[in-house]
Amino acid sequence: MKLSLLAILFMNLALAQLGRVGAPSAANPLARDPKAVAAGETQFQQLCTGCHGRSGEGGQGEGKGPNLMNSWEIRRASDRQLFAFIHDGVSGTAMPAFALPDQSIRELAAYVRSLNAPANSVPVSGDAHAGEGLFFGKAGCAGCHMIRGHGGYLGPDLSEIGAKRRLGELRQALLHPDTLATDGYSPVMLQSAQGKQIKAIVKQQSNWSISVLDETGELHLLRGSEMRRVSAQLRQWMPADYADRLTPDEIQNLLAYLSRQSLHLPTTSSERPSASAEEPN
Amino acid sequence: MNKCVLVFLAAVSLRAQVSQADLEQGVNQNWLTYVGDYFGQRHSPLKQIDTANVRRLVPKWVRHFNEAGDLETVPLVYQGVMYSTGSNAIFALDAVSGKEIWHYQPQGTRRRSSNRGLAVFGDRLFFETSDCHLLALDRRNGAIFWERDFADGNKAYSCTGAPLAVKNKIIVGVASSGKSCYVAALSAETGAEAWRVWSVPHAGEPGADTWGHLPLDWGGGPTWTTGTYDPGLNLLYWPTGNPWPDFGGGERPGDNLFTDSVLAIDPDTGRTKWYFQFVPHDTHDWDANETPVLFDTVFRGKRRKLLLQANRDGFYYILDRETGEFLHASAFVNKLTWASGIDSKGRPILLPHNDPTPAGTRVCPSVHGATNWWAPSLNPDLGLFFVVALEECEIYYSSEQNPTPNSGYRGTGHTSIPSEPGSFYLRALDATTGKLRWEYQMSGPTTMWAGTVSTAGGLVFSADDDGDLIAFNSKTGKDLWHFYMGANLHSSPMTFAVAGQQYVTVAAGTNLFTFGLMGD
Repeated sequence: MKLSLLAILFMNLALAQLGRVGAPSAANPLARDPKAVAAGETQFQQLCTGCHGRSGEGGQGEGKGPNLMNSWEIRRASDRQLFAFIHDGVSGTAMPAFALPDQSIRELAAYVRSLNAPANSVPVSGDAHAGEGLFFGKAGCAGCHMIRGHGGYLGPDLSEIGAKRRLGELRQALLHPDTLATDGYSPVMLQSAQGKQIKAIVKQQSNWSISVLDETGELHLLRGSEMRRVSAQLRQWMPADYADRLTPDEIQNLLAYLSRQSLHLPTTSSERPSASAEEPN
Repeated sequence: MNKCVLVFLAAVSLRAQVSQADLEQGVNQNWLTYVGDYFGQRHSPLKQIDTANVRRLVPKWVRHFNEAGDLETVPLVYQGVMYSTGSNAIFALDAVSGKEIWHYQPQGTRRRSSNRGLAVFGDRLFFETSDCHLLALDRRNGAIFWERDFADGNKAYSCTGAPLAVKNKIIVGVASSGKSCYVAALSAETGAEAWRVWSVPHAGEPGADTWGHLPLDWGGGPTWTTGTYDPGLNLLYWPTGNPWPDFGGGERPGDNLFTDSVLAIDPDTGRTKWYFQFVPHDTHDWDANETPVLFDTVFRGKRRKLLLQANRDGFYYILDRETGEFLHASAFVNKLTWASGIDSKGRPILLPHNDPTPAGTRVCPSVHGATNWWAPSLNPDLGLFFVVALEECEIYYSSEQNPTPNSGYRGTGHTSIPSEPGSFYLRALDATTGKLRWEYQMSGPTTMWAGTVSTAGGLVFSADDDGDLIAFNSKTGKDLWHFYMGANLHSSPMTFAVAGQQYVTVAAGTNLFTFGLMGD
């Protein structure tokens, strides 16, 4: 027993030593490479989801792997440490060592890094310009969402969404909107003075008052019997069928566009980084 | 058909917009600028709450703001929605219930800071972050249009003021620790800067020879409070603060133009039409950032367009706001040692032994000021100017050091005199003579920063130095009602109406209180 423990300890130390030798001393050169991130995601789906979940949400399998989308350990970890977590495993946990080529480990690390960083700080594959066209056109996003003052009122403003959310969250919101919290955006129908039904959302409500923003941008502050003009809707206004309505490429293009939305990055088409500019030098 | 739809949509959107005409109309059921109206009178025509029923005033709601520090904000109200600020945060509240409709917190690391409020124009709200970014938001849902760094990312500036919307421009000011300051106009549409007026001139410009050898990119003259505007004359009146180093005048011999002044600026061009300096070569931090109140009335037998200011230096000034001509000044505090009066040209008649010294000099008013940025108000029907005045002296010190910009260096400082405690007063001055009509003495530790609001209900609301909001009879100064707010006020009350019901709102500590009549 003692011997086997010692053997494991020795093996771990040896692996750790190997890790130090094998791990790159500098930053992960693939961290901002969209192709590497995409390759890392493919490997992640094959190797990691059993414990960490399909989106890195964690809590799966025997190991109940930690959430990798919202992990302070990963945000704090250097590229070298992140490499070692995968290459060497994490002793005292169910995280095994993965005997993969350095390139694959760097790709996996780039993907895991992208799960934790705001979407505008990681490379996102896809054609952002085409995504903008979808946002304001076929996909109908601008019917409810604004970007820099252009768009509708029924959904949250997305002008800074690339700086506020991670890529995984954007994907989740787009494909599985039923998992989103709806505080401030609960769907209702509002009966107008002429008896017409208008799409609207609830900004706040209590037993005494309700504030409703309708799809034209008009705010209704209702009290007492006026509150009866509002009827709750079971399904939120965000369509739940984007996975069917859009092709995988279109979804990726939309994500590429959304991930760039930040007040502190250029957004005009002339300043927008081209697809080739995303590639590492 | 399409045309009809377009016309209908245009009508809807026009109805929902705050127009230049709305801003020029002044205070009504809405409160659309930090100072209420363009003239800075803070006088509301609302009179549902009056001298007879004010005793029935009760709190309707309280809204707590986390992380705000002492709130200095004066909220805006438009069509039943209240827009308020915390520290680097904006909140839209149902003005009747206090419930939050939306809030916006700018991204990025910002220093916790005071903020005094917002501007509204069209469908947009305008807000300054503590690091001098102007934000334009959709007032209906808090969506952001743009963010503009109007101090060029220079960390030497900080911003706390409420912007002023004038004809599709947003006027902003800055504060600094030594760096020379400016007033700027940004496009309400795009945030692009239209002009910038410096309160310290550049080399070769008029006034540059009033600074000795101090480099002209230093000198202060901060512009951190909100100015006023006369649409008829198309002139903006923006006050400037004191020269730097605050207490060390040796490094900057001369008048130090255009500090402690009011600048009359054409908002279309940024051209300064005239200026008036209240305190040349200030060595007591007596900035002129008090509201320049505009008043059209008969003055010495002639109808004139006046600019009134109760200044931190202890004098109440009357200027002709078309020309900047000095018309009158009289002391509104009794504790005043630095000048025996103001001469016919508007210059102070200085008394000796009032400059700060290494050993210390007793001077009145104190650094807190005979008044300060807290709001005065004017009841134009009564011709009364209401000002919260502080009777207080302090010991002022100077040092022999060379000035070090951006270091917090102020040329040394000041201390209170424990054996000579100060006292706050609410004073009603005759607006055209400066004569005292009535006064109300406050108890308390002289730590408040509360201003006033006047109403057609015959009331003026202010606070005492112990944290009570008080309603006064504006003709007599009698206190008719009071409510303990739990904290000293660092803000000024305002009033508005929704569905015919009048309310009074004021911030105290980290809370925003709204009062209305019981049973209504």
